Amino acid sequence: MAKKFEVMVGNKAVAYAAKLARVKFVSAYPITPQTTIVQYLSDMCATGEMDAEYVTMEGELSCQASAITASTTVRSFTATSGPGLLYMHHPLHMTSWARLPLVMAVVHRSTKGMQPDQMDTMSQRDTGWLMLECQNSQELLDTGIMSFKIAEDPRVMLPTIFMGDGYILSYTSEPVEIPDQELVDEFLGPYRRPYPMFPEEAAESLKLMGAMWSNQHGPQHIWKMQQEAAMNAKIVIKEVNTEFQKKFGRSYGNGLVEEYKCENVDAVLVGMGTIASTAKTAIDRLQKEGKKVGLVAIKSFKPFPDEEFQRIAGYTKAMGVIDRNVSTGTKGGITFTEIRHALYDLDERPVTLNFHAGMRGQEVTVDGLKRMAEKTLKAARGEKVAPIVEWVGGN
Amino acid sequence: MSKPVPLSRLDAKEFISPANSACQGCAGSMVARIVAKIIGKEMVRQEVACCGPAFGNIQQPVFYGEIFEGAGAMMTGFARAFKRADREDIRVVGIIGDGGTSDIGFQGLSAAAERNEDMLWICYDNEAYMNTGGQRSSATSKYASTTTTPVGELSRGKAEKKKPLPLIVALHDVPYTATASVAFPEDFIGKLAYAKPIRGFRFIQVSAPCPTGWRFDPRYSARIAKDMVESGLWPLYEVYDGTLKISYKPKELKPVKDVLHGQGRFRHLTDDEVDEVQGYVFRQWERLVEKDGAPLL
Repeated sequence: MAKKFEVMVGNKAVAYAAKLARVKFVSAYPITPQTTIVQYLSDMCATGEMDAEYVTMEGELSCQASAITASTTVRSFTATSGPGLLYMHHPLHMTSWARLPLVMAVVHRSTKGMQPDQMDTMSQRDTGWLMLECQNSQELLDTGIMSFKIAEDPRVMLPTIFMGDGYILSYTSEPVEIPDQELVDEFLGPYRRPYPMFPEEAAESLKLMGAMWSNQHGPQHIWKMQQEAAMNAKIVIKEVNTEFQKKFGRSYGNGLVEEYKCENVDAVLVGMGTIASTAKTAIDRLQKEGKKVGLVAIKSFKPFPDEEFQRIAGYTKAMGVIDRNVSTGTKGGITFTEIRHALYDLDERPVTLNFHAGMRGQEVTVDGLKRMAEKTLKAARGEKVAPIVEWVGGN
Repeated sequence: MSKPVPLSRLDAKEFISPANSACQGCAGSMVARIVAKIIGKEMVRQEVACCGPAFGNIQQPVFYGEIFEGAGAMMTGFARAFKRADREDIRVVGIIGDGGTSDIGFQGLSAAAERNEDMLWICYDNEAYMNTGGQRSSATSKYASTTTTPVGELSRGKAEKKKPLPLIVALHDVPYTATASVAFPEDFIGKLAYAKPIRGFRFIQVSAPCPTGWRFDPRYSARIAKDMVESGLWPLYEVYDGTLKISYKPKELKPVKDVLHGQGRFRHLTDDEVDEVQGYVFRQWERLVEKDGAPLL
């Protein structure tokens, strides 16, 4: 079969993911830099290229709320950015406790201004959604498709966000391979209605709702079950990533993390999203100079790949963690604290450094990343480095 | 236009369980019983935060969304998904309180009406946030003493008038809008039966007196509801094809004084204040009569 390529912006790649997944319900609301995703989808619906209910809601909260009920019956999709995601915060909790496998694309936009950082999704960290980060447009398309498979897996049944940086991906064109529709159909299969909502299913439906609302399990049950499902997702994500590789010839690390040129290294940089993709160039240049430093890109932020970092700790003496976010009042960014938490149980831990970078679209350059890597290497050599947590550029 | 349906013509089958945890004399539970009886077996019901979860013990699929503000959006999701699943026979019905309709849910209500989504939105109007202990809503009538508009040296209860919600909805030019009352079940049932087969956005706001919040003896719920209609405080009308039609014209409007003073929430009203309300009711009634049978839009 001839491969089909098209030069497209990241937002079009996202729209293709929803289309190829044969989504039947799209709730839409414009917000920069997500807007063109729903524009592409509206075009696809208008021309008949896509067969779905396309509803322009009156705000993002309603986008989420309508997608919640729609996903009880048909495969559903919505997309948003920054403040739109913040506005959705309330219903996001419901999607996850109702265990609906809704998939949403988030194009990162800061909570201040329109440029990207991870503050939008990080603010939803504890809503019970799975969160998968992307480095390029191809990865957005592929991760979009994989998200449906992961979310709908009976061992998981949790809503899933797949995300990428605004502007850097959303409005930047690059060649993207469009997977074959038949293969995607085989890969995903038809949507299984997760809720018996039809009137003839009243007995079953009331039993389910009764179980959700009764106290037979105790008040904490919902979160305990969500937690188990999210932990199951660590296995499912890896499986889906492998299956995707077999079917489409592409995969993203092991599904949870991507280790780039990490053979025989003394230190690693750790990043997420487009920072990680820029960091690959920095690593290439440093390794050419004989510096033993690799890169770990976090692919799955939720569930957080603790075990992967424990394993990586076995071959590196220092980790330089880049956070495009800040958790005010806590020392260090959010992935930094997550990684330190993962490493605590180890007998021997690598040195961990943190760099706050790229907030509100602050440019993160190859040279800047090289300097972060050098500092991490210095720590790997056992030299004293300070500060542990550093703000890079644009302060 | 709708026609009242005699109670004798109703099927005996009930879709609501006799047991529920509503307060004594809850008119909201009367609304739920009637809706269940008429739409019953073809219904999927949306519920949001309100007294509904306490009284809405209807034995048909229900989706309790904790999203107080989300009734319009959630019903949209159902209606569109059922269409995609080739199940347009399913009626999407919401039994939503006045707060979830005219305050926090208002944006979603207006948006769903503007999109003419296929849903039947029943607002049972007890004129305050009764499930949280009787706080003022935009549906609360002027001078009502609520737990957030208490009467005191500097306060005479709620300072503002009740939001004219049914007319606001009707001005969205939706297929059907009506008011109803639990004291006029034949009229209410007729309106439900009329609205049921219509496709698109349908809205019925039902006056549902709340003994707990309005402070009257629970045995008088229906009587107070009746007096509100007879006095013109809650006129019964419907708007279809853009035309307004009064459903019930009392021969003479009953004075509001006794109706108001029969409720604890209005017992503090002075004669001047009662006169003010009376004047307002007369003016509103006259305007309504002028519009009777005429296009609203």
